[in-house]
Amino acid sequence: MDLQALKTQEHKRRVKIGFMWAFFCAILWGIWYIPGTVVWVLNPFDAMYSEIAATSGDGISLVVTAVLITAFNALTVILALMVWNGVLGKFGEMKRTLKEFHPCSKWFFLAAIFGGPMAILGSFIAMGFVGGAFAAVAALMYPVIGSILASKWYGEKITRRAYTGIAFIIAGGFTIFGGGVLTELGTGNISWIGYLGGLMAAAGWGIEGAIAGKGLDISEPDVSLTIRFIAENIIWWIIIIPLLAIVGFPMFKYAILAFEPLTLLTLIFAGITFGFCYVAWYKSFPLIGVGRGQGIGNLYGLFAVIFIFLFFGDMPAWTILLGGALCLVGSSIMFSESTEELESLRGD
Amino acid sequence: MVQTEAAMEAYNAYWINSPLPAASTLYMVLILIIAILALWQARTFVSKF
Repeated sequence: MDLQALKTQEHKRRVKIGFMWAFFCAILWGIWYIPGTVVWVLNPFDAMYSEIAATSGDGISLVVTAVLITAFNALTVILALMVWNGVLGKFGEMKRTLKEFHPCSKWFFLAAIFGGPMAILGSFIAMGFVGGAFAAVAALMYPVIGSILASKWYGEKITRRAYTGIAFIIAGGFTIFGGGVLTELGTGNISWIGYLGGLMAAAGWGIEGAIAGKGLDISEPDVSLTIRFIAENIIWWIIIIPLLAIVGFPMFKYAILAFEPLTLLTLIFAGITFGFCYVAWYKSFPLIGVGRGQGIGNLYGLFAVIFIFLFFGDMPAWTILLGGALCLVGSSIMFSESTEELESLRGD
Repeated sequence: MVQTEAAMEAYNAYWINSPLPAASTLYMVLILIIAILALWQARTFVSKF
């Protein structure tokens, strides 16, 4: 076998594995909505919501409760990632990457700001104000932002086929948002903060992907993602939660009360799904590019709707189904792209 | 904090319409299966690259 044939074979294998990781990301992200939804009704979060709502109103209460849930989610993600890195024997690499803050870790601290306070919190807000199925599909717009940023910033190659996929995803996103607004207008109950949460999720994850794509040029995905979640834990537990406690919200009281078996079990399963889905997402970027990794990862919308139906028995509204279907068509167009087009992920 | 009766009622209500038996346990089993599969693939990936 000549060198060219070996290169082609290796390239095809790389693309196949890249798509496999993006697919793992989609499945795990979709199933995360099960523990991510039920945890809201469990104590202490249910009691926390009621206590804050009585004095500060429903909107503020929901956001503050979402902060505590998100912080616990980040904490259990770190536990899951420690298992992941332990099994893969990556602790030495983690130490090395952490030491190199300027060239490596700084990107993942930045990614944590967009993926944490902005995207994850936004997703929880959308879930709390509108619903689990809406939250799952509202953020489907994120590959648009991610691929445009990756293209403009460091010249990631976006083919015509990839642009077509993105166009379908935009159409799907408009169907989801527009349809949801129309349905709510009909009932006279408009949860604007829920839609804002959906937009925060889309923009946050898109920007995070582009930043991570840059950082992954010089570091290893399993370790990079763990550093990104260490940064997110710092943001929640050392900055935001103490700030909210200083303002007067009962953050620490309810954080201690969260150590209850069913609540902890639910949070741990949320951590496993979220941590493993995120690491699969990061693993796909160097292999198939940020735009495609995010595009295929977008299938999480479909998986969320399937899992929500299987475990909760909820049939989503037709607008969510139609929007989700359009997004799926967009993702499939990217998926079916010839591997030759992916030989070089960068434009030059 | 112990779960109140209202919290458990709301929690159980989520699973009541599920077409699957023991949905509240089954979702955890499914997560574990997918997670182990992903970890196994990651081990294989590490050894190949």
